Amino acid sequence: MMKAIKRILLLGGAAAAMAGGAAQQVQAQKSDQITVAITEGITGNNPYADSVVLIGSIWCQVYGCLTRWDFETGKFVPFLAESLEPEDDLNWILTLRADWKRHNGEPVVAADVIHSIERSRNDPESMSQASVQYIEKAEALDDRRLRITTTQKMATLPNYLATMQITSKKIYDEHGAKVADREHPVGAGPYRLVEVGIGSHIVIERVDDHPMVEPTNPKRIIYRMMAEPEQRVTALANGEVQIAQGIPPQLVSRVQQLPNATAEMVDSAEAMFIAMSPKTAPWDNPKVRQAVCHAINREGIARAILGNQVTLLNGPVGAGQLGFDPAYVSPIDYNPDKARKLLEEAGAVGASVDLYSPVGRYIADRQIAEAVIPMLQDVGFKATLQTPEWATLWTNVQRGDTPFYYMGRGNMLDPSPALAQYFETDASPRLKYSNPEVDALLQAERQEFDPEKRVAMLSKAMTAITEDAPACFLWLHKLSWGVAKGVDYKPSKADRVNGWEIHLR
Amino acid sequence: MLGYTLRRVAGTIPVLFMVSLLIFALVQFAPGDPVDMLVSDEATEEVRLAIRAAWGLDQPVYVQYLTFLKNAVMGDFGQSFRYREPVMQLILERLPASLELAIYSTLLAVAIGLPLGVWAASRPNSIVDTVGSIGGFFGISLPNFWLGILLILLFAGTFNLLPSGGRETWGLNVERVTGFLTVDAIIAGRWDALWDSLRHLALPVVVLGTNMTGIIMQITRASVLENLQEDYVMTARAKGMSGRVVLWRHAFRNALIAVITIIGLEFGTLISGAIIVETVFSWPGIGYLLLQGISFRDFPLITGLVLVYTTLFVLINLAIDMIYTIVDPRIRMG
Repeated sequence: MMKAIKRILLLGGAAAAMAGGAAQQVQAQKSDQITVAITEGITGNNPYADSVVLIGSIWCQVYGCLTRWDFETGKFVPFLAESLEPEDDLNWILTLRADWKRHNGEPVVAADVIHSIERSRNDPESMSQASVQYIEKAEALDDRRLRITTTQKMATLPNYLATMQITSKKIYDEHGAKVADREHPVGAGPYRLVEVGIGSHIVIERVDDHPMVEPTNPKRIIYRMMAEPEQRVTALANGEVQIAQGIPPQLVSRVQQLPNATAEMVDSAEAMFIAMSPKTAPWDNPKVRQAVCHAINREGIARAILGNQVTLLNGPVGAGQLGFDPAYVSPIDYNPDKARKLLEEAGAVGASVDLYSPVGRYIADRQIAEAVIPMLQDVGFKATLQTPEWATLWTNVQRGDTPFYYMGRGNMLDPSPALAQYFETDASPRLKYSNPEVDALLQAERQEFDPEKRVAMLSKAMTAITEDAPACFLWLHKLSWGVAKGVDYKPSKADRVNGWEIHLR
Repeated sequence: MLGYTLRRVAGTIPVLFMVSLLIFALVQFAPGDPVDMLVSDEATEEVRLAIRAAWGLDQPVYVQYLTFLKNAVMGDFGQSFRYREPVMQLILERLPASLELAIYSTLLAVAIGLPLGVWAASRPNSIVDTVGSIGGFFGISLPNFWLGILLILLFAGTFNLLPSGGRETWGLNVERVTGFLTVDAIIAGRWDALWDSLRHLALPVVVLGTNMTGIIMQITRASVLENLQEDYVMTARAKGMSGRVVLWRHAFRNALIAVITIIGLEFGTLISGAIIVETVFSWPGIGYLLLQGISFRDFPLITGLVLVYTTLFVLINLAIDMIYTIVDPRIRMG
């Protein structure tokens, strides 16, 4: 018996040594590449068919996009486009840069941009139709320049075009969409596509002579889907991955204590809010809506549930986003007494309300909603929590069938499209909010080409929305990323991991 | 035998039809709209309508079902809404991963559960029996997600011996022949790839196998114990046969029918029920695919996967019936 036990221990030791050795070997092989653990998998080879921001940014690295948001300057800067300037109220002139070629040496031409606009609009698999909905037509002026005509005066066109991948018309015409995307993903971005594993991983490789890359950027990047946060953190700890997306608040301290990694935080560009549809009682009374906002102790929730890993909002946007006014102080503070008074004035004490919240969609969403319920009850609401599955909740929100819900809205670097979607009359059924002052301001800002005037209008519209309270704006989550030591990477608000922004030491 | 097999296979056709009808109805009438999952946040109502028409979701439900049925007969379950690939192709790409996981888990469970069960039955109420029974109950009771995360933390984190998830290390480039990575690595003579596959298999196999080990151990124990109390065992002992022969040749063999039934059923459950383990370990199998299908209201994917699961269950049951005749020659098919 003892002999057998000894034999088992010896075998176990040998296996452990082999396993450890293999792990070290794998690490040694990968010194010039990094693996990024991501939370959502890629859906296929079609660059227009994925709405996940991070996946879209990978396609931008491969194919190249027209412009990109620069967080330091707070504006869109050239990527494939050298410039994008308004010609008059409805026309824009887009000029492509002359010094960038596709990976096969061919230039990116105006016909490719027109083709990409058409694919965004007409490809049956496209999820990018919204980004070209205001483009009436695009016509080539020469190989490098084209005129884009919008359906209405649109100062926000660069925003809509920023994430559009520019694929090759020539390759598409030769092979058709499926074969072109799978077998000839020839882009003009700083990385080339190596492999797509649907639902599991995507691998890209540095284009060494591309103007955007440096020798310190990783030679190869493997984006690997890992749904479980514990797995992402463990993989970071044991060196399987070098960057891990979406570290939840409860695991941040564990990452910070790792000897080989650290946690990097950045405010997201996704506003978290509680929406109240004024078409449904009791939300038709602004005092009741304001009472909800005054009842919620955001600081308390941030401290107790979110480990203070949030930036509290004074309105729909925070610092670094267009229209943010640092001087503005919202009158909608935490004040339960005022909430009770407002509810009494509205004659809505004891009003029954159902708060709908997703579960697992956003950081600690259910726990946050559970904390809000007693706060509402405390000021006089008869509040209950409903937590349907995401697909059900989202469909009901889209149809305008859910009057009171906790939600997030991403892609708010330039908040214009999101504000219109939620707060402009008849723009979408999500909130059914209508305010002539807000409508006028949002329509005017969209048509204002002067950046300063536009920002002022946006700020004014956001102030009006905040104080009329069709939604209580809560916070921007701080996105936590695990980053291995030896990797220089500062995550950005936009939830993107671009190879040219990563440097290996 | 052939006639019986053909009759059983033919009998699956109405089963598959009923299952397809039921699943199609359930997913159609469940709350949630696949179009909301397909379009971006900023899509207008016009875009939504266009997407609905492009995927045939604007057709009456019975037209959608008949179109599905007509194509399914030809082995075409349509295109996945989420992945925009033929459903059958997606399933065939991932099925070997789930099968490989299920087979290794079953082998582990049988290798441990069977001898432990027999051992415990041969010494009822002994320490071996008590410890084995408690261990078996633990195996049955441990939640997969908890055990999975615990093992990740221990063996991938603390000890850093095994990978935290996935099926293989990227870049090994072993030619896919069977889709079973361990088998493909052996065919290619790539021992590094075989070792890599086994390392990736280790944790999910232990998690899935733990539960099954407990069940097999308990069933084997109960079944062997029951047989040991039969008259034929007493007769065999009276004829002077050794305890080992009585136990293994007589009692165990007669107990096998119940054990094989459980192994077959559990194997089917492992293929279809590994959703949590596949998610925890980022295992690219059909369990995780089904989860994605449900989350995104991917009707063709859900229906196709359920039909494949049903077919697998029918085939596993058929295989069990055939094994019965080998184990117990008194059983005849027909």
